Amino acid sequence: MAVDERKLSDARKLSDARKSGFGLGLLKGMAVTLKHLFKHNTVIQYPDEKQDLPPRTRGVIALKEENCTVCMLCARECPDWCIYIDSHKETLPPKRAGGRPRKRNVLDRFAIDYSLCMYCGICVEVCPYDALFWSREFEYSEYDIRQLTHEKERLADWMTTVLPPPELEQGADLPGQPAAAAASATVEATGARPANLTSSAVEARPEQAATAPREGSFTTEPARPASSLPPQEQKRETSPEDAQPAPGLDTEVKAAQGLPGATTQPEPEVTLGAGRAAESVTQPADTAQVGSDATSAPEGQPPQKTPSVAAEPAVTAAEPVSQAGLRNLGGQAPVARPSTEPAGVAEDPEAAYRRVLQEQASRGSSPQVAEARAKVARVKAERGMARTATPAPATAPVQSAPQATPTEPEPSGAPEAQGPAPEPGPVAPTADEDRTDG
Amino acid sequence: MAVAPGVRDASEVAEEISSGRLVTEEMLLNVGPQHPATHGVFRLLATIDGEKLVDAEPVIGYMHRGYEKLVEQRDYRQITNLVSRMDWLSNIQNELPLAMAVESLMEIEVPPRAQYLRVIMCELNRILNHLMFFASFGAELGAITPTFYAFREREDIQMAMEAATGGRMHFGFFRPGGLKEDVPRGFIAQALKGVRQVIDRLPDYENLLLGNEIFKQRTIGVGVLEKEVAYSYGVSGPIARGSGIDFDVRKDEPYLVYDQFDFQVSTAPNGDCFDRFWVLVHEVVESAKIVEQAFEGLPSGPVMGKVPRVVQAPVGEIYVRSENSLGELGMYLISDGDRRPYRLKIRTPSYNNVSALGHVLRDTFVSDMIAILGSFFFVLGDIDR
Amino acid sequence: MPEIALTAWQILLVKVLVILTIVPVGALAGGYAEHKVMAHLQHRLGPMYPGGFHGWATTLADGLKFLYKEDIVPDAADRKVFSLAPAAIFVPVLMIYLVIPIDRNLIVEDLDVGIFYLLAVGSISTIGVLMAGWSSANKYALIGALRSAAQLIAYELPIVLSAAVVAMYAGSLSVIDIVEKQNFPFAIWPPGIGLIAFLVFTTGAVAEMTRVPFDMPVAESEIITGPFTEYTGMRYIFSHMFAEMGHMVAFAGIGVTLFLGGYKPIIPWSPLEVVPGVIWFGLKFALMIFLFLWIRPTFPRVREDQLQKFAWKFLIPVSLVLVLAMGAWVLYV
Repeated sequence: MAVDERKLSDARKLSDARKSGFGLGLLKGMAVTLKHLFKHNTVIQYPDEKQDLPPRTRGVIALKEENCTVCMLCARECPDWCIYIDSHKETLPPKRAGGRPRKRNVLDRFAIDYSLCMYCGICVEVCPYDALFWSREFEYSEYDIRQLTHEKERLADWMTTVLPPPELEQGADLPGQPAAAAASATVEATGARPANLTSSAVEARPEQAATAPREGSFTTEPARPASSLPPQEQKRETSPEDAQPAPGLDTEVKAAQGLPGATTQPEPEVTLGAGRAAESVTQPADTAQVGSDATSAPEGQPPQKTPSVAAEPAVTAAEPVSQAGLRNLGGQAPVARPSTEPAGVAEDPEAAYRRVLQEQASRGSSPQVAEARAKVARVKAERGMARTATPAPATAPVQSAPQATPTEPEPSGAPEAQGPAPEPGPVAPTADEDRTDG
Repeated sequence: MAVAPGVRDASEVAEEISSGRLVTEEMLLNVGPQHPATHGVFRLLATIDGEKLVDAEPVIGYMHRGYEKLVEQRDYRQITNLVSRMDWLSNIQNELPLAMAVESLMEIEVPPRAQYLRVIMCELNRILNHLMFFASFGAELGAITPTFYAFREREDIQMAMEAATGGRMHFGFFRPGGLKEDVPRGFIAQALKGVRQVIDRLPDYENLLLGNEIFKQRTIGVGVLEKEVAYSYGVSGPIARGSGIDFDVRKDEPYLVYDQFDFQVSTAPNGDCFDRFWVLVHEVVESAKIVEQAFEGLPSGPVMGKVPRVVQAPVGEIYVRSENSLGELGMYLISDGDRRPYRLKIRTPSYNNVSALGHVLRDTFVSDMIAILGSFFFVLGDIDR
Repeated sequence: MPEIALTAWQILLVKVLVILTIVPVGALAGGYAEHKVMAHLQHRLGPMYPGGFHGWATTLADGLKFLYKEDIVPDAADRKVFSLAPAAIFVPVLMIYLVIPIDRNLIVEDLDVGIFYLLAVGSISTIGVLMAGWSSANKYALIGALRSAAQLIAYELPIVLSAAVVAMYAGSLSVIDIVEKQNFPFAIWPPGIGLIAFLVFTTGAVAEMTRVPFDMPVAESEIITGPFTEYTGMRYIFSHMFAEMGHMVAFAGIGVTLFLGGYKPIIPWSPLEVVPGVIWFGLKFALMIFLFLWIRPTFPRVREDQLQKFAWKFLIPVSLVLVLAMGAWVLYV
């Protein structure tokens, strides 16, 4: 217990506190201010250095236009009615010859009046097709209140700044998870808990490191369908002529392309490969920090510190991993792991569901995403769809939205990813960082 | 500046003064609605005689936003975000009674992890709130430095809260049934870091304010709120505890999992500004203790109970109360089975607390008025809502 | 002789110019120092951008900003008095600088009655403050003005008495003589007496400047800068900012001259004499300024009645005792 009672014992006695100190108190006060004169400063000079805000920061709402189906839920749920949506219906030619012509809503206008918005995030929460995201961007002030109504083009621009959702704290539960899976996901975490739960991330880490090999081991790797599935889905769904996808599938798409941190399993390996995972608190790398020094993360590392760093490598390396299953431990040379996934092997739907869920649990994906992925896996298993090792889209998971170009495999991956990689400003110095000035 | 017609001779005045017959004119001084010491649009109609405050009447309502009416048009999720804006210093604690009210009407069981996290966040919020009042109280008395120190300390806790909820002030994180989502990794470390930092640096505040002779002179014996008066006005929270009333909803009517933690209710018997401030400081320590214990016992599991997709409280009514940073926050919810409440009466602590101001302010000095306003720790949004 | 007369005028002109530049520059520098020192005492950086290097031009930019502001005179105000008040506050501050010796030969005017002059001129601003408060037709300003007047009178006495102690020690009223007579800085040598006199003087000086903890007259959280509530733009700068800063710089100078040995080295040791007096003066001066700046953010302010009590019931008796003690010292030691 860090609350030091002794330190405060003097002031704890009210009668003592009320006594006059005959000017000694004045001197003590002066000592306090003088002490601070020589302390390192923790001020951040804002326009020059920017604070690294956490991924959940409600800065501005970004719109992923192609996911929007004009269901109007957001506009209806908005407490201030600050979302304006216009749309028209469009008839599309039938998909197959002889089929019925299809109807489809086309979004004409999507605007949010930020002078009314109360930043509650209900629209983001209710959006069933994951078209709305929170971005950390906050510098969009205008000279005129009327200019604060931002249209969909501007909202779409902000998609590039959306960060993946953070990994959850230990002991977090995932919805729909079978009890056994839940246990496996949480027991290690809780097992350590009674002992000393002061449990900063660091203290908890040894156990984690111990479990990590199991979770991230090669045996589970091959059984990971999602890495290969999303691309297909994505390709299909992003094509405008396509019929409206089922919600489940759609979320899956979002999972695949919209939320790198949560969804793409490549990530752990990626962060490892990048060798930067050591500092990562929010990244799934945590769990998968197999051989790398898992305990090296500094205590109290603010969770928001990493995404900007880690998201980038995640993006760049997404390719090789999902494709060839490269794995790079602790900075070793990449070891090529042949894709062990037999193409087109059908699986029991329920088993697939559970497996994916468990897998996601071990990755620490957000519950919704995990569930969505699991559902997709189940549907695919039901339909007997082949899980071929299709190359993942080369686009950066989140940022891809506007210029979604599911393209050829590896080569273009890296450059593509660099472009839209979030530019969250310089990494902010933390409180301990050395910031003096004269 | 015309000379008044009945100007008297100086000797005449001197004689009046010595004989105690001097008649002075009272002056009406409007403190506020825009005044730095009221931190908000709050007006104090003060009748002063020289430096003496003969009478003072708090006038409120400049910030009335009609929340109780607004919520009748909004569903429970939206209300969460509305009530969060009542008291803008203890936002997440405002969301709590609403969530609890809906939960008990709907008979939702909140998972233990959610309960623990709720406690943690409420206590973090309490620390944030109290630090803010350290800052403002010092600033009102002329000591501007605690403001900056307090904001520095707040920042770390604030970052933890932001990482979890996405908001710095308006968190909107509690939902009927649990939490919006689980906290992100690193939250525990960040929150503990912040809390420990506050505790480590608390001696600085004590040296700057509590131990300072000038501060003591300004606060000891000033603005005494007697126990009986506090009772009769329904004063609660640190102000009531500063008047020797040992009442804390967390202890006396435990909600969430507060009964599992070891903490004390700090009280002070004298009821003056100093005691109120002293209680505030010590509540920070107690809150820090609760946070540490809660993290120690934090169970794993889901953070959301079994809640139907559309939150619809069944017909019924319920009064739920909780200990806000500033006192007892109660919500009286009447539901007619709709997605929206039929009526939501909110009992906010600040409203009752400022009611006692008129009594306390009588026969003090103008400067004391500022000290008293500062030590009453009210938030305007909480009064007017 | 016309030529000599002309030279005298020239000298006068130069002197006036020097004063007129020193005060605003001193006030600007003081303002900057206050920004920065206070910021660092409060664990922040203070202004960093104006001018490039650590925001050195902040106060300059501030001044410019105030120049551009509208000069508002309230309808109900007594216009003439209202517009004269800033001058009545500011000019006496200028006049203080006449008699502060920066070095042995670096003094604008070495008056025989230096101390007398200092103290007399120093208390004229009170009238200006009263004028400002009364003419503003604002209740807050009125309260502030009355507080200010009461306070300046109450704290003038300790300053006068503590200065009298120094004059008794030196046996002269001329500031140059006073500095020359101090073998050690006065605050060190007559042991006890000097130090207490210095503390009394510093306390009084802080009160005269109406700075925390004695800033009841302008307490911005209660009566919103009191007498200056209604002032805007340049008038505000002159009556409040410049006056406060000018006072601070002046009192630091006086304090150094009377108590810290002025331009002389800190201890009478011949190798130290090599260092020019200006540097010694500057060092001590910076120390004094820092002391003032250090006190400001640390303390809460004292209540009006406590402030009066402190002056009349503590400071003045103490300084009277000091005068007695000094008399005994001069007579018997």
